[in-house]
Amino acid sequence: MKKKLLSVILATAVAASLLAGCGSSAADTAAPAADAAAPAADAAAPADSSGGGKTYALVTKSAGNPFMERMASGFQEVVEAQGGTVVIQNPEAATPDAQISVIQSLISQGVDSIAVDGNDANALTAVLTEASGKGIKILTLDSDVAPDTRTVYCNQAGVSQIGETLMEAVYDLTGGEGDWAILSATSQATNQNAWIDAMKKLMESDSKYAKLNLVEVAYGDDEPQKSTDQTQALLQNYPDLKVICAPTTVGIAAAAKVLQDQKSSVKLTGLGLPSEMAEYIGEDDAHSCPYMYLWNPIDLGRLAGYTSIALVDGSITGAAGDSFKAGDLGDYTIEEIDGSTQIILGPPFKFDPSNIDEWKTVY
Amino acid sequence: MAGRSGREISAVQKGSIRSKILSWEGALVLILVAVNILGVAISPNYNVENVLREMPRYLAEIFMMFGMGYILVLGDIDISVGALVCLAGTVAVLSSNAGLPFGVAVIICLGVGLLGGMLNGFIATRFTELPTMIVTLGTQIIFRGIAEVLFETWGNGGGTASMTDTKGLMLLATKIGPFPIAFFCVLIVGIIMIVVLAKTTFGRKLYAIGSNKTAAYYAGVKVEKIRFICYSVLGLLAGLCALFLLTATFGSNTTTGQGFEMEVIAMCVFGGIATTGGKGNLIGGFIAAFIIVCLRIALGQRNINTQVILVIIGLMLIISVLVPAISSAISIRKKRAKA
Repeated sequence: MKKKLLSVILATAVAASLLAGCGSSAADTAAPAADAAAPAADAAAPADSSGGGKTYALVTKSAGNPFMERMASGFQEVVEAQGGTVVIQNPEAATPDAQISVIQSLISQGVDSIAVDGNDANALTAVLTEASGKGIKILTLDSDVAPDTRTVYCNQAGVSQIGETLMEAVYDLTGGEGDWAILSATSQATNQNAWIDAMKKLMESDSKYAKLNLVEVAYGDDEPQKSTDQTQALLQNYPDLKVICAPTTVGIAAAAKVLQDQKSSVKLTGLGLPSEMAEYIGEDDAHSCPYMYLWNPIDLGRLAGYTSIALVDGSITGAAGDSFKAGDLGDYTIEEIDGSTQIILGPPFKFDPSNIDEWKTVY
Repeated sequence: MAGRSGREISAVQKGSIRSKILSWEGALVLILVAVNILGVAISPNYNVENVLREMPRYLAEIFMMFGMGYILVLGDIDISVGALVCLAGTVAVLSSNAGLPFGVAVIICLGVGLLGGMLNGFIATRFTELPTMIVTLGTQIIFRGIAEVLFETWGNGGGTASMTDTKGLMLLATKIGPFPIAFFCVLIVGIIMIVVLAKTTFGRKLYAIGSNKTAAYYAGVKVEKIRFICYSVLGLLAGLCALFLLTATFGSNTTTGQGFEMEVIAMCVFGGIATTGGKGNLIGGFIAAFIIVCLRIALGQRNINTQVILVIIGLMLIISVLVPAISSAISIRKKRAKA
């Protein structure tokens, strides 16, 4: 009996410590939020109070992804400068299931807008429809979801723009002919699949690319280890491989390390973060990546921040033709592209040996 | 009667109310109450309506907790069910999109789950020398692999498919008052599973097998037949989990159900079911499941980093396993001191 009593006491102690632990961690997170909100409110009061008193949420794809962190910092900077409260949520895994839980929680909290970076185009349909039904403004950035479940999509660059840019890079690096492969993120990643489709269509339609042979689309699931394994498999399976194109920041960094470590003659291009790729970028054989592209995740986050505020204060509704001023980013107009409403940030930016040193410290 | 883990074998009948309150299940009820008080204390939005609205995705997992409880009581383990959820959901979505009526898609969903469970059961009972962890690791990879192939061949590619006709799913997602239908289904399935395990000879045989398989065999228990049935039941429940998960996602993708197997095992272990077999009961697992769900919802509403939530749940799990071990170690020391 004593033993049982003891186990109950211990269990209660567990619960109590849990209470205490959570209470303090909740206080910890609450305190800086309050601190941050106070100066932001001061700054906003004289200038523009359009974002004041509202809560703007951002749901990223996953935690621990530098691109997501930069994007979130841009979003936070804009919203706080306007006096709004920011909630950044990183789901526990890079799956739509985890995002559903997070969005459900945001609905409970009664936020005013949710900007989502979708892990799946369709799986979020039910939860986002429910959120819209509660009067929450839904927008997407980076990766889109089903168009009728959100108001507008903040697109980092047009799909065809990216497809053309990457295809041209592959053409340039292969010298116009030979084997090349793609190392992508997950097999269901919305934007990667759209870009790959755009590249495949270009290869079919333009005779300029007729001598290029796409041997495989490998999926590294945006995990460094799996991307490394997939790169090694590509090198083993295709001895004549000339170029790997990795349209994902995790994949390109993993592939760059493999190619450079093995002193492979295979060249790499794609979309990568300058800070992670700086040591691999160079024209000579000692470097694996002559040049690559990306947009600015901070600006994308800021654009989503301005868009959230404009949607919540009612200055735009998300219809094609609506235009608004996104601070120092300039004026943007919502465009109708392939039957969905989008705001396009701008063309992808090229990082090569001439500018990588100045960008690697930025993000 | 308590073994090294210190938890009572459930087959032993306990009479007094006092001992019931002081049992592990009693402690779990206290923790559940504490978690709910915590929820109300830290989040202004923690109320019945919001909790029930956030719950369906988690409710789907609880179905499998009951089946997993049976498997763990047997002393086995099944880590393939997360992938089986993915496969069952995928086949259901693709068959519905191919034009089959929703009712047929439901039967297919449950049927694929049952078949997957039967496959696990078949391999585990035919080749008894294989550890079930390895058998189900194999089928885990197979199930998810088949789902990925299906996406490529019958879906639109890209590793994801959504149901085009959502009327049936909407019906399943409807609520009676604030309660989602899934909530009542979990209750019904739960009561059946709990009663069968605790009150029937079939249930007693599971404890016998989990405590000592060889002794159970020589006592005339049809060990392999019962193991086969348990794996099949868990498979069927994985199909049910897939069905209710569809009501939240309206579709399936290659990551559907990822990690579910570990989450349901965690619920069972936290509920006092020993992975070594023969110990614990489903009431504990049932309460533990709601503790974990309520805690996730409460901390989520406070916008606590999701990784921190995982750490907290992991710590709870470790502590819950340690509590009985520590208390039994102390009582053993006391007995020795007396002697």
